[in-house]
Amino acid sequence: MKLTIDGREVEADDGETVLRAALRHGIQIPHFCWHAKLTIAGSCRMCLVKVNDLPKLQPACNVAATPKMRIDTQHEQVQRARAQVMEFLLLNHPVDCGVCDKAGECRLQDYQHRYGAAASRSNEDKRHARKLHPLGERILLDNERCILCSRCVRFTREVSKTNALGIVERGSHEYVDVVDGAFDDPYSGNVVDLCPTGALLSRSFLYRCRTWFLEPVRSVCTGCERACELRVWRRKAERASHAPGAAPDREVYRITAPEGTAAEGGPWLCNRGFDQHVWMKRPRLPGALVDGHPASAADALARVRALLGAAHRPAVLVSSHASNEQADALRACLPPHATAYVHTDRLPQPGETLEDAVLIRADKNPNRRGVAARLGAAPLDAAARHDVVVVWGECAGAPAAGTPWIHLTPFETPAESAATVALPIPNALEFSGTMENFEGRTVAFDRVFAPPAHVHDPLDVLRSALA
Amino acid sequence: MTSGTVFFNHELTATSHSLADYRARGGYASLEKALRTMQPVEVEREVLQSGLQGRGGAGFTTGVKWDFVDKKSPVVYLCCNIDEGEPGTFKDRWILEHSPHQLLEGMLLGSYALGVRHAFAYVRGEFDLPWRRLAGALAEARTAGLVGERILGSHFSCDIVVHRGAGAYVCGEESSLLNSLEGKKGWPRNKPPFPAVKGLYQRPTVVNNTETLATVPWILANGAPAYAAMGVKKSPGTRLFGVSGHVARPGLHEKPTGYPLQRLIHEDAGGVLGGRALKAVIPGGSSTPILTAAEVETLTLDPEAMSKAGTMLGSGAVIVIAEGTCMVRLLQVLTRFYAHESCGQCSPCREGTDWMNRILTRICAGRGTGDDLATLRSVAAGIQGNTVCALGDAAAMPVASFMKRFGAEFEYFVQHGRSMNDGRLAP
Repeated sequence: MKLTIDGREVEADDGETVLRAALRHGIQIPHFCWHAKLTIAGSCRMCLVKVNDLPKLQPACNVAATPKMRIDTQHEQVQRARAQVMEFLLLNHPVDCGVCDKAGECRLQDYQHRYGAAASRSNEDKRHARKLHPLGERILLDNERCILCSRCVRFTREVSKTNALGIVERGSHEYVDVVDGAFDDPYSGNVVDLCPTGALLSRSFLYRCRTWFLEPVRSVCTGCERACELRVWRRKAERASHAPGAAPDREVYRITAPEGTAAEGGPWLCNRGFDQHVWMKRPRLPGALVDGHPASAADALARVRALLGAAHRPAVLVSSHASNEQADALRACLPPHATAYVHTDRLPQPGETLEDAVLIRADKNPNRRGVAARLGAAPLDAAARHDVVVVWGECAGAPAAGTPWIHLTPFETPAESAATVALPIPNALEFSGTMENFEGRTVAFDRVFAPPAHVHDPLDVLRSALA
Repeated sequence: MTSGTVFFNHELTATSHSLADYRARGGYASLEKALRTMQPVEVEREVLQSGLQGRGGAGFTTGVKWDFVDKKSPVVYLCCNIDEGEPGTFKDRWILEHSPHQLLEGMLLGSYALGVRHAFAYVRGEFDLPWRRLAGALAEARTAGLVGERILGSHFSCDIVVHRGAGAYVCGEESSLLNSLEGKKGWPRNKPPFPAVKGLYQRPTVVNNTETLATVPWILANGAPAYAAMGVKKSPGTRLFGVSGHVARPGLHEKPTGYPLQRLIHEDAGGVLGGRALKAVIPGGSSTPILTAAEVETLTLDPEAMSKAGTMLGSGAVIVIAEGTCMVRLLQVLTRFYAHESCGQCSPCREGTDWMNRILTRICAGRGTGDDLATLRSVAAGIQGNTVCALGDAAAMPVASFMKRFGAEFEYFVQHGRSMNDGRLAP
């Protein structure tokens, strides 16, 4: 069906709301409480538009498009209503943008600049409420900044299904609070991004950096085979510290869900995803090890070459955290006497959520499907009597007792000292490529930081040793 | 039940609310007649032809409302709205206290017409005696086989559930009443969908006012033409007018629509208290626009005449205000009520009602400033029409109408920091 929005004819699907149709065609209608992945609340009243010249404005989020409908989003009455809603929402808002983590990417701030009046007409004192109230381990709530859009409440009801949050009391006294116990559901990190103002704050990002000093880099979560896309926020180059002797900033300030992901499951992440950088902060393998003792890189590489050069039936266990490109490159340089397998880098840890109905999958390795598609899915064959085994990726111990083995790993674990040779490689933030998740969706990720100097590219190592 | 009054047709005694007394004055005869001789659609047609209009305030024709419901739906619900919370209104309370069986009979007739198996009566939380009377009447009716399985031996079965609210004005709004009945927070729903399509538990639902449903037995007993002949032609019948405020004898009066307002105040209610002059009248509950004494000179109590005068008949709650009353402080009482009762769901009402109340409270404390009145007007305009439910309008209308008609009093209060009126009624 066709309807007209601001004089422009647009196509809408059956049952589609005016707001969805408008956004799909690039027509901006401001909204706070509406969210593409949540049910309609219709309570912020910011998306009021003029429908067919009816005297009463209608919320675009709740009005179904009908053929030949005429929508005016710029009518004088609409603009007046928007300015009035902005004034209402800011009536008791502290306007403490100067110390608010959300400033710079705040919907309330943006809309006030675009649709609000220059000054408030209120002569009343601002109503005070609870500030920096911990809702759980990750999230803080500033009730003064809250505009009661109920997005977070609907999120816990409809997505994470914990019903942890609710709006209690009534009228101007009402506030968002934890209804039952603490807000520690495995998806709680999402509410920070979901909040259109700075009411819900991440405890780990609190007061750490102004958002406009940061830039996002597209990355991938290595927590499970869902391989969710994420945005890793690092400091912009021009905002780097110029103090004498300052080390280059290799800090991940925060992680957010990608913008506008249309993929199934929505733009949500689980808390493991929000902690991707925390995982990457585990102790790195500080340098090469030969027979459990620190050695120079040259010695270690020479030993790898010697081991693989003398091997008759070497096996390469390729990390299921490696990229498709790495798997392709390895296949291209793999000599006929060598066999490649997919290595299971990570098994579920005690206390870790094994699997749920929202995002988390039982297989904790993001690119198993991509690597298996390129190198075969068969498990390591003990009967094949491999004389040298290369383990690319984290592992718990020797793959086959008595066989010499080479370990390529980013992190320090007790297993390294057992390996014949251990070499440090880049972690997930230090290379780029694509992965294929269990559904077959290809996820591209970019390099966030350059790998440290002591780290070896696993492909360079294998290419030179296997050739 | 053949007189010209639907409600005030019996002596009020200690037992007039009982089943025996109700039966003695012809009660449940309409139900028996309908179940024995009429099809459901005939009951609906009778109500439609009577021209009965909703008594909750909006005045929608009841028969049309019933007609909207998809009768083919496997489940249809009927809810009786007894969350009578509009300040000044006390008619439903009278019905529950003195003739609860009349309401039950009306609900059963409505259920029969709509094919309802479970009907709900949502009683205002603050009602105690009315609730006990209704619950008692329901128990009596159930024992007598008037509610439950195979009523009066017919094939019609219907259960009535009495539910007590928790004391929220907003639950008198039909969609928040349904949410509350479902056990959710009493927040109004966005429309569409309307309750007639998706109401209680997402099923087609009719929500009717107490007085509306309690009128249905009379219509079936006396016929639609008899009802249509009472009162004015466009909105026939009688209405319960609750007169309160500065009158000698406040109380409830049943009058045909079109009855002169002056006569109601000066004859039926005994005139203005202390022999003072009439200053203003709020004609249909606190949210309807106020009228000055001059405006009510020739006003009659019917929706059309009210609409011409720029106000509404609402719930028939006539609040009389005598000369000498401070309109600024009176309005502050109302804004305090609406700020307290705003459900807080949508931003204009949640923030706006509180803002208006704070401005007025400050003015009443003598600390008004020059632009307060302009701000008040524009806040009221910003709420009106922009909220989820009609209660935003209900909060904004009194502010707009008080300031339009008594603007000078407001300006005086802001300028001088005190009221133009002493507020005392006795000379």
